[in-house]
Amino acid sequence: MMQLPKPGCGLDNRPTRRALLQVGGPILGLGLADLLRCDARATEAGKAASGKSIIVFWTDGGISQQDSYDLKPAAPMEYRGAYQPIGTTVPGIQLGERLPRQAEVMRRVAIVRSVHHENGIHAPSAHWMQTGYFGPTLARNAAQKPSLGSVIARSVGSRRPPMPAYITIPRLEAFGYQGAVYLGKAYNPFEVGGDPNASDFKVPNLTLPGGLTAANVAKRRGLLDSFDSLRREIDESGVMDGLDTFKRQALEMVSGERMRAAFDISVESAELRDRYGRHRYGQSALLARRLIEAGARCVNINTGNWDHHNDIVKGLDEHLPPLDRAIAALIVDLEERGMLDDVLVYCVGEFGRTPRMNGHSGRDHWSDCFSVLLAGGGIQGGRVVGASEKWGGGVLERPVSPLDLLATIYRQLGIPLDTHFEDASGRPVSIVGAGRPINELF
Amino acid sequence: MNWHVGIAGWVHGSTPSGLMSTRAWATLAVGILVLGLAVPLAAGETANSEARAGGSTDEELAAGARRVFFGTEVVPVLTRLGCNGGGCHGKATGQNGFRLSLLGFEPEFDYESLVTESRGRRISIAAPDRSLLLLKATARVPHGGGRRLEEASDEYGILRGWIAQGALPPHPGDARPLRIEIDPAERVLDSNASLQLRVTVFLSDGSTRDVTRQTIYQSNEPGIISVDTVGGVTVGDRRGVAAVMARFGEQIATFRATVPFVDKPEDLASAQAVLDRLDPPIPDTQINRMLIRQWRRLGIVPSPMADDAAFLRRVTLDICGTLPTPDELSAYRADTRDDKRERLIDRLLDRPEYASYFALKWADILRNRGAGYSTSQQRAGTALFASWIRDSIASNKRYDRFVTEILTAAGRQNENPPTVWYRTVRKPPEFVESVAQAFLGVRVQCAQCHHHPTERWGTADYFGLAAVFSRVGRKGGFADAEVPTDESIFVKDHTEVRDPRTGKTVRPRPLGGTDLDLKPGDDPRESLARWMTRADNPFFARTMANRLWAHFLGRGIVHPIDDARDSNPPSNPELLDALAYEFVASGYDVKQLIRAICNSHAYALQATPTENNIADSQSFARFYPRRLQAEVLIDALSQVLDVPTEFPGVSPGTRSIDLPDENVAAHFLDVFGRPSRLSACECERTDAPSLGQALELVNSSEIQRKLLHPAGYAARLAALDKPATELVHEIFPRILSRPARDEELRTAVNFLESETADRAEACRSLLWALFATNEFLFNH
Repeated sequence: MMQLPKPGCGLDNRPTRRALLQVGGPILGLGLADLLRCDARATEAGKAASGKSIIVFWTDGGISQQDSYDLKPAAPMEYRGAYQPIGTTVPGIQLGERLPRQAEVMRRVAIVRSVHHENGIHAPSAHWMQTGYFGPTLARNAAQKPSLGSVIARSVGSRRPPMPAYITIPRLEAFGYQGAVYLGKAYNPFEVGGDPNASDFKVPNLTLPGGLTAANVAKRRGLLDSFDSLRREIDESGVMDGLDTFKRQALEMVSGERMRAAFDISVESAELRDRYGRHRYGQSALLARRLIEAGARCVNINTGNWDHHNDIVKGLDEHLPPLDRAIAALIVDLEERGMLDDVLVYCVGEFGRTPRMNGHSGRDHWSDCFSVLLAGGGIQGGRVVGASEKWGGGVLERPVSPLDLLATIYRQLGIPLDTHFEDASGRPVSIVGAGRPINELF
Repeated sequence: MNWHVGIAGWVHGSTPSGLMSTRAWATLAVGILVLGLAVPLAAGETANSEARAGGSTDEELAAGARRVFFGTEVVPVLTRLGCNGGGCHGKATGQNGFRLSLLGFEPEFDYESLVTESRGRRISIAAPDRSLLLLKATARVPHGGGRRLEEASDEYGILRGWIAQGALPPHPGDARPLRIEIDPAERVLDSNASLQLRVTVFLSDGSTRDVTRQTIYQSNEPGIISVDTVGGVTVGDRRGVAAVMARFGEQIATFRATVPFVDKPEDLASAQAVLDRLDPPIPDTQINRMLIRQWRRLGIVPSPMADDAAFLRRVTLDICGTLPTPDELSAYRADTRDDKRERLIDRLLDRPEYASYFALKWADILRNRGAGYSTSQQRAGTALFASWIRDSIASNKRYDRFVTEILTAAGRQNENPPTVWYRTVRKPPEFVESVAQAFLGVRVQCAQCHHHPTERWGTADYFGLAAVFSRVGRKGGFADAEVPTDESIFVKDHTEVRDPRTGKTVRPRPLGGTDLDLKPGDDPRESLARWMTRADNPFFARTMANRLWAHFLGRGIVHPIDDARDSNPPSNPELLDALAYEFVASGYDVKQLIRAICNSHAYALQATPTENNIADSQSFARFYPRRLQAEVLIDALSQVLDVPTEFPGVSPGTRSIDLPDENVAAHFLDVFGRPSRLSACECERTDAPSLGQALELVNSSEIQRKLLHPAGYAARLAALDKPATELVHEIFPRILSRPARDEELRTAVNFLESETADRAEACRSLLWALFATNEFLFNH
């Protein structure tokens, strides 16, 4: 029987109601109350950060694999597209010419060129890639499964509360499929809410509203301490304990220095900020690194939109260079700080784009075979896994499913792959289903 | 034939107090039957462990003297060993190419997998011990699942015996299990007791067999009693009532345990004596009698009665979703009539907020969604249904009619608003989930693909219920390809539903009922509604009674409220029966049911536990506190600060319990757990705390706006030229619905008097520090 890893949790968790239900083998996560108690203890113990974490670049709309990570220089013009391949620091591996900086760090980077699923519409595909499972076919339908960030938040939690476990920059995207669903709202991402590259960048949730100063908050906090006397033991469910913990965290986040400092990228040197690039992607990546250092477990950066049905060159010329710079600078920075083995970098979108250009100099939706990038976090770089057909199109070798990718990520983060969580009907749902880690990456 | 017997199976008597301690067992000389021989043993614990350690060896089988049956012997072993669990070969994709039916509910499928698939290499009749099945299970060849089976075990003997006899397939003529019995079925246990369960299966050929070791066990309250894989029960740290489900194939039996809160019989007696001498005595109603019975059984003494202020706040919040005003508080406290609580409850039920608050609850359950229905006609549909729900509740429509009108709705939304239910609920899984979870309190979704793992429901039950809705027809009304606008619901003459797995025609059938007898043109939904609303329906009234009990008491008697199962029994069955009986007898009068609940003794208790009942979480010996739900909380903040919340697109001053649907943008409500109306489960509305909620309290611009508003209460308070003491006396009842205690008064006055530089901010801080307390954020 597998136990979920509990961040800094003591031994006296007693399972509440049916927190640990065993149905012929599958194992369910701890009850919320237990997790809250764990969180509370972890906070009080002031536990140091430990364990691995992840930074995700979500390419909303779907990036064109044949113009970025899987070029087809020998294909006819309408397949090949506008870009030339360039060599990388790893002999035999080529990238598109708009990714020169990633080519420089190719030794640390792995590309999976054979990802596929069976849907070509944004919303259900985003659900598939975010959660591993096929989802609602209509945009109006809400998520059915939790996103990878929420699964990570629920399974291994923040590395150092009060820093939230799961943070998204600037805000929730992917058709709302970056949330927690039946894991509970506590595992939704904390939304940064602003563009870190903006000169007046502020985090709305950490910014005091007009008329309120940090000194006021400190006074309110003191008063609250003296009035908040309702005995905790009247509530067996753990909700009151949990809320208390979060109240303390919130007050600390708002009035304390540590959180504010984590979000303050202005303290980074101008040289480093330039290296990441003075644009939303670059500064978001830099912020993500600071948040991970401060204890976040999963930081998601939403990029795009990459839905280039028309004039794809114009779109990619705008978006690829900043993405290239952001990812490459992050990898170098993490390595220089000795963090690269502990931080997984993952670049993914809902699908790729048609191998053949359409009549509008663009490419349409394509999920039969597309590419994702992984680096760090124990992943072996300098390699390519899988291959697409000659001119693109289908998977030629080593098909990789969305659940395989999630299994790879969860494995690297130390989340047991037999973890199950109950959905609203009480059914235990596996976090990886039939997915298996991509062993070629280890 | 061999019997697997534990000591407790023999001790059918009990001491006069109803307690059977291990010490009592030790004084009994008992015998235990092993292999047909009576072997005398001395003490309970010893007998217990010896009986279990000894296991049993099937001599007949070893001698090849009896046949091994696939369905009743082999499959249960596979289940016992975990082979067909959802994490292993039982999952839909199998495991490493070998797939079994989930938990063994389809023996024919399992037979095919074992014997025919994979070129038959899983079974070797010529050399049974070389069968891949046995080599893998014993890990003699590498097995991803590790070693599951010892070669010396009974289980190995059964599998091996079956193979050696030629691996015979299941046959329709084989004896079928008709039922299982668990022994004992019920027991009062003291805190260090343990006992051995014994399970017997009764087969269709008239024989019986001990299947203790082939049965799956599961406790519904592992903290109270835990159960091991061979039916050994151990009492845990907690006290209360609990059940162990035993499942053998499709057969389920339940052992129910009561673990009193006191260990010694004399303590039990004295706890019972305290209950008998309560002053004033508990009013003698059927509901109170059933509560007391449970408390006596458990040796629990309920907490003292809540005072007037606490009761007023509690019941106003629970019935009207609204905080009482200071005026209501002083009027209620000044009321000296004996029946003032009953009168208060009646008054609250007549207020419009009652209808609004419960309409919100039902709009969630009935999934009356605004999101996705954005055209003017679609929004109108949502609004029409919302009003219909609210009017139904305001007029106290009989609950059986309320549900029947929804289930059998036909026509267009303008003529018949409950047809809007069919706009959201469109497909068989949605019908089944909504009807089963919302009105019958059971979860059957699993049975769409496989037999329910802990209940009697199979796929036939699922598709039978789905077939009830097969004649629902829809006409027109699509503005675009995706979202219906104003479709018309009608009943088709005839349709046929097939079970997608068997291909057989399925006849409409209510859960646990018989096939509906239908003529062309009949509406099976009407038959379903008639079946549901009959007085003897085992689910309908109990589900509503339990739902409302959970609303007011913070926990269902069946918990969770939509998960009634034989294996998840009510914590107090007689209490649930009493409530359901009164509900039916009153003609499904919802207000009367609420009166019965709110006038119960349990509802009048303090939330503060006593030393005796602090660990109680299921017997209602004290009031269980819970969070104010999102809408109630923001309305309470609007009320105490006297600044309405501004919601986009609705008229100013609209309270959040009166919002037309869940799609009115309000970050605060989303953060605090407002559901998206995606399922019929009330669990979608979560009271789980989160950091986002705490941040919202600490620095939301909405709260700060309310505090800063020039016409708001905070500003008015700061402008008052009154001594600090008077201000504090005014503030506390307004926010916490009670007077300030001396110490609080001192703290607050000191604060106001020391903060002279910015009196307005001082007032804001004081107000904030009070509504950020758990006392404000919880109903208690």
